[in-house]
Parts: sequence; structure tokens; C-alpha cells
Amino acid sequence: MKNGIGRIATATFTYGFLGLMAFLSIFPFIWMVLGASNSSIDIIKGRILPGEAFTANVGKFFTTVNVPLVFWNSAKVAIFATVLTLAVSSLAGYGFEMFRSRHRERVYRAMLLTLMIPFAALMIPLFIMMGKAGLINTHIAVVLPSIGSAFVIFYFRQSTKAFPSELRDAAKVDGLKEWQIFLFIYVPVMRSTYAAAFIIVFMTAWNNYLWPLIVLQSNETKTITLVISSLASAYYPDYGVVMVGTILATLPTLAVFFFMQRQFVQGMLGSVK
Amino acid sequence: MDNLARAYLPRIAGLALAGASFLAVTAAEAKEITIWCWDPNFNVAIMKEAGARYTKTHPDVTFNVVDFAKTDVEQKLQTGLASGTADALPDIVLIEDYGAQKYLQSFPGAFAPLSGTVDYSGFAPYKAEVMTVDGQVYGMPFDSGVTGLYYRKDYLEQAGFKPEDMQNLTWDRFIEIGKQVEAKTGKKMMGLDPNDAGIVRIMMQSAGQWYFDKEGKPNITGNAALKAALETVGKIMQADIYKPANGWTDWVGTFTSGDVATVVTGVWITGTVKAQPDQAGKWGVAPIPALAVDGATHASNLGGSSWYVLESSAEKAEAIDFLNEIYGKDIDFYQKILQERGAVGTLLAARGGAAYEAADPFFGGEKVWQTFSDWLSKVPSVNYGVFTNEADTAVTAQLPAITQGTPVDEVLKAIDSEISGQIQ
Repeated sequence: MKNGIGRIATATFTYGFLGLMAFLSIFPFIWMVLGASNSSIDIIKGRILPGEAFTANVGKFFTTVNVPLVFWNSAKVAIFATVLTLAVSSLAGYGFEMFRSRHRERVYRAMLLTLMIPFAALMIPLFIMMGKAGLINTHIAVVLPSIGSAFVIFYFRQSTKAFPSELRDAAKVDGLKEWQIFLFIYVPVMRSTYAAAFIIVFMTAWNNYLWPLIVLQSNETKTITLVISSLASAYYPDYGVVMVGTILATLPTLAVFFFMQRQFVQGMLGSVK
Repeated sequence: MDNLARAYLPRIAGLALAGASFLAVTAAEAKEITIWCWDPNFNVAIMKEAGARYTKTHPDVTFNVVDFAKTDVEQKLQTGLASGTADALPDIVLIEDYGAQKYLQSFPGAFAPLSGTVDYSGFAPYKAEVMTVDGQVYGMPFDSGVTGLYYRKDYLEQAGFKPEDMQNLTWDRFIEIGKQVEAKTGKKMMGLDPNDAGIVRIMMQSAGQWYFDKEGKPNITGNAALKAALETVGKIMQADIYKPANGWTDWVGTFTSGDVATVVTGVWITGTVKAQPDQAGKWGVAPIPALAVDGATHASNLGGSSWYVLESSAEKAEAIDFLNEIYGKDIDFYQKILQERGAVGTLLAARGGAAYEAADPFFGGEKVWQTFSDWLSKVPSVNYGVFTNEADTAVTAQLPAITQGTPVDEVLKAIDSEISGQIQ
């Protein structure tokens, strides 16, 4: 029953609001790209137009930072962390939902409670453990603590609720063993869940900062986040170079997200069902 | 076959033995010193230069300078010391002077005392004070944050002031000049970040006071210098001769953009000032204005850091010898880091070198480095104590109250209660 003017007003408001929100979320990205093309001084002065210093900034970044090594380190950590986390945590999520036992819910709740412990509180004990195991300054030490992730287990268990138990029963009748059911039935059916979890875990691992900082000790093992942090904390940071580093560090997560976007949305919808 | 074996076996055995002993010798002699510090263009580059110099005369010692952000170095050091995992620590670490007492007192025995080795009388006196606990001196003094008043000659001339008029000012006179500069040129006198208490620290130390007394007890309500400093900041704000800045980058922008006529800060800003080639010849340097209290001087300090050797280090002896040889004695090294990096060391003898005596065309041919190193020896010694950063937070939190005209004594009480609450 709305009249024309009312509808136009509503639409204007809706799109105006959406546009504003879109601008707010995309602005840091624009700023990063523009910044990479400007000199540090221009960035400080607040210039938001494309500049001419892009090649100079890229050149400086590549001469101050051992780019291939740093990216190799980051990629190694992120890929191993992602694959192992998905393997371990999805098995756990599957197990929690499929197998009944008297203490299942209690164990599950206890595990969820660990989500409330801030990482800063775990850091020193974890560091001592790694020290005793002789793993300080190795990438293994960066990956290990993340693979049994309570959040990912929770996410997989919630999604498994949507997994039709008839499929499992049918597979059992056909004589499949439990590991075969998991591998050949569960994993293909749940692939959008895996894709969504992959994006989340990969981004977390790629952007992880505090723990790698504590456990990595040499220039040869450092990941990209640590390198950018050190560039940005100079007495006179060259913001143009920092922006180049930030762009390069963003690209892999961006690529992963774009490739898996469709599955990501499906996976997210699936988990609410 | 047997003969062959018999003929060659001794040789092979001999070779193997020689190889083994060769390996053993290298293992015993090659020493790598690991160093953590921040800023790839400053501390890291300087430490690499220092290491290269030492390796020239001691080929068996090499250096691994690891570069982390400043807060990252602090976090890693804290974790390493707290966990007691000695092999997780470097041999040498850079610590900012404000935080030195916190580490030295919180982790007794973690750092190697250098009192017997290093001749501290050759350094700026305030610097040794920073690293002394119970009569033992730890650490190798490194760079200084000796302060100066950088001013735009062109703006001040327009307002009718010559370089002579900028020497040995009081803060009241500084504010008066600021009013005239704004009236004549439309420029503000200085940039001021209301969330950074750096200017308060500069003023307070210039009168020989700090948030803490020599025993490390809070020194707030009876601190005449702190009171005068807060009053001065209040006056600057009331006179409206400042350009407000939001954060460090913004503050730097106030003078790189040419919007303000003066900068009062540590000597390490010189590189940033000089990064504007179009402003060459327009800058001058004068001593900072003095407070109107007993013991007021024109010299102060902001920031600066020093090198510390870890007691747990396997290469402790080499690390100490290295610091002493290069940072304690090598005058030529100090010329090089001044020229290339703009680093003003705290070794007083360094000022006799060529780089310190050179005139700087950017500052209209003034011998700025010589001037700064003169002031360096005059910086009043204070005890930075364990809780400087906490005290600083409390002061920062109260700066808005000063702006709103709250009486300074009330503000001091509020700061005092906040600090007492924090450090108990």
C-alpha cells in the first residue's frame, strides 16, 4: 500500500546505508593500495590519490625483505596448519556427533569451555613445553598447538548434525568400515563445510601473529606478519613499503577466499540448519 | 685387495682424523652472537656495522642480528625470562631506557653486570644511572634522546625574531613568541598530541625530577617540576598556540608539512626533519626552554636505549668484549653511525670526531651534532624506576583535565592515586 515517494525514500535509504557500509569496509583496502603507490611523506600528509612511488616502494620492499623465504615460511606454516587442523578436528567433530557415550556431552562442554581461555594465558606454559621438547624456533612449534582447535571441532560437530544418518546406516549395511564411511561418504558430502573451515583456518594460520612471534627466534624462520610488524615499528617507518608488504600478505588469503567463496557461503548456511 | 686396503687404510684413517680434528677446532672456536633489536634502518643496521667491525679483528666471532618490532622484542624477552627457558634467549638484547629498571629488577641475575669491564665515566652520566641496580651497572649505553628546540628560521623571522632570540628561553617566553608567530604568520607554534605525555617527561627531566625519586617511590604530589610541566602544558593549550595531533604519524605531519614553527623533542627526530629537502636551510636548533622551578636546565632527554648481555648466554665473554671494544671505545664507529644513520651515541669522547664537528647545510651551516653532544653531557640524571610506563599512562589519562582547566594540584592527586593503585 506504499505510495511511490515512500518506496523511493525507502530504497534510497536502504541503498545509501548499504553503500556507506560497503565503503567503510572496503576503504582500508583502497587506502592500502593507494598507499603502496605513494611515498611515506605523502601518506603521512593523508594523500588519497594514486602516486608515483609504487615501483620504488616495491623495490625497497624486495631489497629489505627476503621475500621468497618469508613467503615460503608463511605458506608452509599455513598449509600444514590448515591440512592438519581439518584432518584432526573434523574427525573429532564426526566422532562427537556419531558416537554416543555417557560422558560425551560433559567432555564436549569442557572442550568448549577452553574457548574462553585467552591465548595469552596459555602462552608461557606452551612455550616452556616447546622449550623442553627442543622445538623452539621451528615451524613445527608454530603448527602443533593449533591443530586440535576447539572452534573447528565445534563447527564440524554442528555441521555433522545435518549429515543424514541414513547414509551411514546404508553404508554399514553395505559393509563399509567406520574409517571408510568417514573417508568415502562423510568427506565428499561435507565438502562445503570443509571449504568454509579451510578458509577460516587458513586465514587464522596465515595471519597468526602472537604465537609465531614468541616461538620463532631467527630471521630465517620468520613469517610475513612478523616481518611487516618489524617494518612498521621503525622510528621512521616507510609506510609506502609497509603497504606493499601488506598487499602481498593479503593476496593469498584473498585468493583462497575468492576461489572458495561459493562453498564458503554454502557451508555457512549448512551449519545453521 | 688386501694389499690395497692395507696401503690406503692408514691414509684414509689419517684423513678422517684430520677431518674430525678440523671439525672439532671449528666447533670450539667459531662463536655466533645472537642479538635482538628493532628498526631495520637504525638499531639493526648499526648493530650489523658494529658486528662487521668486530669480526674484522676477531674472525672467529660472527653476528646474527635478528630484527623484531620493539614491542615484539619486549614480549619475547618477557616470555623467555618468565619461562626460564635459557636457550630461547639471545646473547645481547636492546632495551629502551624507560623499561630497563623493570627488567633488571624483575629478573635479578638474568643480565650480566658490566661494572668491572666498561668505563662508565666516559658516557653521559644520566645514561649509567638508568642501568644501575644496587651499585652494579648493567648494559652498554647506546643512543641518546637528548632534546632540542628545532625552529623554522623563516617563520620566526617573519614574526620578528632572530636566532639569538631563541636561545635559552623560558617556557613563558616561548608561549609569548608563539602568540606573535601566529599573529604574524598564521602558523601554530608547535604540534601537540594530547595522548602523548612525552612533552611532560621532557620538561620534568630538564629540572632533574621524575615520576619516582631516587629510591623508586612515587614522586607526584610534591614534584615541583611535574607540577610546573603540567601547568606549562595547560598554558600552551589555553594560549592555543598548538596544532593538535592524533597519534605519532599525525604529530610528525605537523612539522613535515610546514604547519608549525617549532618542534621540541629528542635528537633522533633530526633524520625526519631533514627528510624534507624543500625545507633545507630553513631550520635552526636551540636549547629547549626551561621551567620556572629550582634546578631547571635547558637539557633533557626523550627515549634512547641500551644493549644488555644475558647472563645465560653461552657467548657471554665474547658478547661483553664486543660491546666494550666497539661501543665503549671505537670513536670512528660513532662517526659512521652518526653520518649514515643520524644516531647520537652517548660516548662523550665521540664528539671529538670529524662527523660531530661537521657543519650541516640543512641547518644553515650550524654544527648541530656538536651542539647536541654539548647538551648531552648536561642532561640531569633521574631514576626512571620500574613503573615509568604505568606513570605515563596515568599522566596521559589526566591531560584532558588540564585542558579543561582543572587545578593542577587536583590533577596531581588524581595521577598519584592512579599510580599507587596500579603499582600495588
